[in-house]
Amino acid sequence: MVEDDPKDVELTLTALEEYNLANEVVVVGDGEEALDYLNCRGAYATRTGENPAVMLLDLKLPKVDGLEVLQQVKSDEKFRLIPVVVLTSSREEKDMVASYKLGVNGYVVKPVNFHEFVNAIRELGVFWAIINEPPPGSMKK
Amino acid sequence: MARSDSFATKTLPAILRYGLAVGSVAIAFATGLLLSRYNFRGLIDPLFLFAIAITCWYAGLGPAILALVFSFLTFDYFFTEPAYSLYITTNDIPRVVIFVLFASLVTRFAAVRRRVERDLLQSRDELEKEVAERTQQASLLNLTHDSIFVRDMDNVIAYWNRGAQELYGFTPEEAIGKRSSELLHTISAVPVDDIRAELLRAGRWEGELKRTKADGTEVVVASRWSLRRGDQNQPSAILETNNNITERRRREDEIRGLNRELATRSTELEAKNKELEAFAYSISHDLRAPLRHMSGYADLLQKKASAVLDEKSQRYMLMIQESAKRMGDLIDDLLAFSRIGRTETQKTLVNLEQLVKEALSEVRQETNGRNIVWNIGPLPNFYGDRSMLRLVFVNLLSNAVKFTRTRSEAKIEVGWDDGNQDEVVVFVRDNGVGFDMKYVNKLFGVFQRLHPAQAFEGTGIGLATVQRIVQRHGGKVWAEGTVDQGATFYFSAPKP
Repeated sequence: MVEDDPKDVELTLTALEEYNLANEVVVVGDGEEALDYLNCRGAYATRTGENPAVMLLDLKLPKVDGLEVLQQVKSDEKFRLIPVVVLTSSREEKDMVASYKLGVNGYVVKPVNFHEFVNAIRELGVFWAIINEPPPGSMKK
Repeated sequence: MARSDSFATKTLPAILRYGLAVGSVAIAFATGLLLSRYNFRGLIDPLFLFAIAITCWYAGLGPAILALVFSFLTFDYFFTEPAYSLYITTNDIPRVVIFVLFASLVTRFAAVRRRVERDLLQSRDELEKEVAERTQQASLLNLTHDSIFVRDMDNVIAYWNRGAQELYGFTPEEAIGKRSSELLHTISAVPVDDIRAELLRAGRWEGELKRTKADGTEVVVASRWSLRRGDQNQPSAILETNNNITERRRREDEIRGLNRELATRSTELEAKNKELEAFAYSISHDLRAPLRHMSGYADLLQKKASAVLDEKSQRYMLMIQESAKRMGDLIDDLLAFSRIGRTETQKTLVNLEQLVKEALSEVRQETNGRNIVWNIGPLPNFYGDRSMLRLVFVNLLSNAVKFTRTRSEAKIEVGWDDGNQDEVVVFVRDNGVGFDMKYVNKLFGVFQRLHPAQAFEGTGIGLATVQRIVQRHGGKVWAEGTVDQGATFYFSAPKP
């Protein structure tokens, strides 16, 4: 999960906890860190090089923003198979169109209402972590 | 007048002219008789010569010859010895010969004079005719409001029409004889030498000149120059016509200025629009996040502490969540509203009946458990942005459903009027709670609500959205209503 807001992180993890999915989540705080993680460099130099099963990506991020991360992931042969779901506050059509053009696999607007939010996160988690069969070379649950 | 005299002489009938010959010789004869009685015989010869000369002068060559013959016969018969015979003595031969020669000479002189006079008259008449023609042309040139003047190759003005006087304020007397460049302070964007060269090469030149009028004000003229050449093809004069384009030029400058201003404004507007877009973007991201957090943590708190919270505290929690949700809705509606103003409309021919069906399916969940009689009439095609128009119907239908909630049987009607030739009017009518026409002008304002929130929920943006969309389509919206009697909302748009 690429998310800079600790409250969003906490709420999302809380929602996922109910399904025992929280432990599997790696949280990075900005776009640069996300790219470092994928490329096993910087703070993640010692990580084994498996791709995440799914990437939850906020769009408004410090340093390298979400669309930029998405663009790099989808244009890199090593990462382009990673399912990316944009998880954002923005209902802006512009962002949605840009994301789909870059090849995003899902686009979810975080609802204000917490119950709806929990539902959305839960369904996301269940689908991508349990139902969906990730591409080869991904971390197995 | 001399002219009519000579004209009369020239056209004297032949009988009068020859009568003059006979008469003048007769008078000379009578006077000669009188003179010979008093022994002034020496004066008789000049008397006859005088008669011939008079005849020739006034009656022409033919009568003069007649007078000459008569004079000779009379002179010979009566006044030379022997009298009363045509016989001439040898002594008188020289006198007769001199008389005849002198008379012939006088006749000849007079004939030549007459011819010269006739030629002179003829050329004078021709000249007068030309002068008349020229005068007419000049007065024609004075009729035009174009200013026309002629100057020689040294720029000295030779002709100045009334239009020129009207344009520049100088009378012909003031202008003629002056150099045009000095009189009018001509300023040209093109160097004068270039104009001259062009004029000599092509015979004409056109361009704009700035000049100063007699009263000191400046004028801009569209000027056309034509070169006039003399007999040997040498340049002799320049004819210049001018039109005052000061006003036109001023208006053009004004328009250019306005255009520049418009360009600046639209750049500013574009910048403002970008700013607004960034602002809206930031709102949609940054304002929604804290709301989500409030709602989320309140929910978590409620779960965690529900055992220890009393009923009142539980309700407070609920209020926090409701408020957060409401603010989220407000932000969403406001953003949607601002997006209508920012996005381009993509106009196509839209089937309104189809569109109303789609809108109905969107409001369907609001109609659950309600008894609503729908009356959807045939609707025309409409030229507009499909998704925006759908939003119009969704808002209007959702309003109609909402405000008929208190009716056991709600009636909602959608129809259209042909309006007039150039617009289509569509309406949505309900039998709901209606409104007081006093507040009709508040209906379409952003965040304007005519009902308390607890009676009818809503953000107060729906009708503002409708108005903005319709206005972007070049139409207008209005409404009619009576409290508790229902309401009708109309919108119009130009026919495709």
